[in-house]
Amino acid sequence: MSNNTAAEIRRQVERFLPKVLKPSRYIGSEWNVIKKDWDKTDVQMVFAFPDVYEVGMSHLGTRILYHLVNSYPEFLCERVFAPWIDMEKELREKEIPLYALESFQPLKEFDVVGFTLQYEMSYTNILNMLDMAGIPMRVEDRGPEDPWIIAGGPCAYNPEPLVGFIDFFLIGESEEQLPEVLRLVAEQKKNPVSRQDFLRKVAQVQGVYVPEFYHVTYKDDGRIEKIVADEGVPALVEKAIVADLDQAFFPTNPVVPYLEIVHDRMMLEVMRGCSRGCRFCQAGMIYRPVRERSPETLLKQTEELVRATGYDQIALTSLSTGDYTCIQPVIHNIMEKHGAEGVGVSLPSLRVDSFDVDLAETVQKARKSGLTFAPEAGSQRLRNVINKGVEEQNLLEAAEAAFKKGWSTIKLYFMVGLPTETQEDIDGIIDLAKKVANLGTKLGRRNITVTVSTSVFVPKSHTPFQWEPQEAGSSVELKQRYLREKLRDRRFKYSYHDVTTSYLEAVFAKGDRKLAPLLEWAVKHGCRFDGWSDQFRYDVWMEGLKELGIDPRFYANRAMDYDDILPWEHIGSGVSKQFLAEEHHRALQEAKTIDCRYEDCTGCGVCPSRGVQIELKG
Amino acid sequence: MSAMRLRIAYTKIEDARYIAHLDLTRVFERAIRRAGIHMSYSEGFNPRPKISFGFALAVGTEGEREYVDVELQEEIDLGEVLARVQEQLPPGIRLLQGRALDQGAKSLMAVLNAASYRIRVPMALPIQAERLQEAVSGWLGREHVTYSRYSKKGPTDKDIRPWIKLLEAKIQGDEVIFDLEVEMGNSGSVRPEEVLASLRELENLPIELDGIQVIRTGVHVSYEGGKSSPIELA
Repeated sequence: MSNNTAAEIRRQVERFLPKVLKPSRYIGSEWNVIKKDWDKTDVQMVFAFPDVYEVGMSHLGTRILYHLVNSYPEFLCERVFAPWIDMEKELREKEIPLYALESFQPLKEFDVVGFTLQYEMSYTNILNMLDMAGIPMRVEDRGPEDPWIIAGGPCAYNPEPLVGFIDFFLIGESEEQLPEVLRLVAEQKKNPVSRQDFLRKVAQVQGVYVPEFYHVTYKDDGRIEKIVADEGVPALVEKAIVADLDQAFFPTNPVVPYLEIVHDRMMLEVMRGCSRGCRFCQAGMIYRPVRERSPETLLKQTEELVRATGYDQIALTSLSTGDYTCIQPVIHNIMEKHGAEGVGVSLPSLRVDSFDVDLAETVQKARKSGLTFAPEAGSQRLRNVINKGVEEQNLLEAAEAAFKKGWSTIKLYFMVGLPTETQEDIDGIIDLAKKVANLGTKLGRRNITVTVSTSVFVPKSHTPFQWEPQEAGSSVELKQRYLREKLRDRRFKYSYHDVTTSYLEAVFAKGDRKLAPLLEWAVKHGCRFDGWSDQFRYDVWMEGLKELGIDPRFYANRAMDYDDILPWEHIGSGVSKQFLAEEHHRALQEAKTIDCRYEDCTGCGVCPSRGVQIELKG
Repeated sequence: MSAMRLRIAYTKIEDARYIAHLDLTRVFERAIRRAGIHMSYSEGFNPRPKISFGFALAVGTEGEREYVDVELQEEIDLGEVLARVQEQLPPGIRLLQGRALDQGAKSLMAVLNAASYRIRVPMALPIQAERLQEAVSGWLGREHVTYSRYSKKGPTDKDIRPWIKLLEAKIQGDEVIFDLEVEMGNSGSVRPEEVLASLRELENLPIELDGIQVIRTGVHVSYEGGKSSPIELA
């Protein structure tokens, strides 16, 4: 057995590091990294992202929390990412435990290991990382010397498939909640009480869900009979919300990676939340209400970011940046102030109806490579069903303007398998793509490309479509084949998501506690990086389901009743179940619901129930 | 237009040795931008700052004296540039020396043609000093040394002997220390690991290549038997 001190781990790792892919993923001495004196802090936490470095470092939430925790002198926060296959092999062969990047301390030495749950297909990486760290996967196999294993992020809104592995979940926005939890951990280290008593205290923090206090019983058919909370913990765990986003913590000295990451630029969060109300979209429901940051705050943060990072591009991020009320003046001011230094702006999430070609042109001065629009559905009828308020006219006007301004590639994103979808809706996708391409040809543009990309609809918890089943894979595949046939023209490119991955995603998105053994089984049989098509092993998953007697269709393809107790019934996003059910009705009636920013309150319930309000700065 | 062209000598040691050559441009670019110094950019759709290096250093190999050329939009005192940029560089990259270049000066890639290495490698079995010298001179005495390189396309045989300008070895504790000087050019070069692997195989020298530590001590402009630094020469 190897000697597991930080110094020894570093010495051993350095021996083979030049041989693995992208070694700078594993050294943690990037610009702006925070290396604290371990012994001078009360609580040591490691933030764990269950995917590779380049993906994890591109995630804004990870960066916010890393710098937030470190902004407290009494807390230390380090990082760890899922080691790629080659690195895992080396670490396992040499019996080196998974270590945190900053100090090379093994994960086991930390008080808290905090995972972020960004997508369901990263769950096996969580268990695999625990295993690589020598920390038992199962809560009941861990002892007081092991770290607290906690998790947060969007998938924590249905945490049930991970119950049994995670000690407690943080639901909602963690800026205030996480430091509170860490204070309790500090207290626990100083004056330890029993595990139960500690967890009971933690469960009082806004948005903290301790699964062992919630007891689930099932009916004979596998549906949930009831979920009963122990006394003294909230029956409904309501998410934590940052009321004043403008003044909330935001790091302006983020870590600058050596290697090129997925989103390799400064990130400026202009607002949080989106009230467009697309009925498939979980983010649009769980991050309510809309809260904008003021232009003054944003410009000050930009200034600091430019000084501290040396990046030449800044992304204005949010769920729908074109909706930010002060977008024009903010872009204008950034360009005026930093344009001469070579700093450019990028807008990663523009909507067709808020799309302004002039805006796009200001920010894409240099390269007119491609513009992306997401109509999501091919027909107006289906767009009404999903409440994506985009009219065909909007899209065609935007496309025309873009072609005229010199863009030659337009990407169109759609979903296949949406509720109520028929052949006409699929034909609508082809129709729309052709109209866009014809526009380009009509305008005398040669070599235009219309890229059509379809993903498979995955019903998500806490959305109006949470009761909906996912369409069977075989029928989705037929639709994909049909689209591929029809989009053979050289003006088109067609790409689509793998049906099998989306199927398992649906299983876990709508899953319950009975799936935990499946995850464990899959990890033991080599599943990891399931979101990577070259690593995903559908056959192994199918074998596991069979062996454990779990019917995936029960989760993915079953229409749920309004009366059903949902696996996530005890987790509250602030948006009422009644609102979601009404929205589901309206979807089936093809009725649109207007954004509450511009019209009356739609009654989703988040503002009155949580004492918060929409915050617009324009 | 560039108002100033600089050549800077720097180290790439400690953790910085894991920075890939392709990423190094960005490291300098961001450091210079953080320092508030305006670089010159290339023309075209995707302007890139004018930063160029010499021959790539293999990831994981430390470089004690590497060089970079940078073009600036403004003329600034050389000492000030070096001081301001140094403050913004990650640990392991230390600026050693700088010099303003004439506009017409040749690029690093055009002038550099040699590199020297110091290699430390553990012994697999005890080696006597005499035995070591025999092995080295035996190896150097060969007119051709064929080495098989493996790539995705399969193995290719290559004569590595012509690249070697100097090879010396001494014993230090239970390690062997090699000093190696090789020619580098557009048609390629030889890696220190390849030289040692060949030495082990052809001369039966019991060295433990798993524990090899390579340092590139310098890159040079070499001609007519002499060698000089691209800074002195410029």
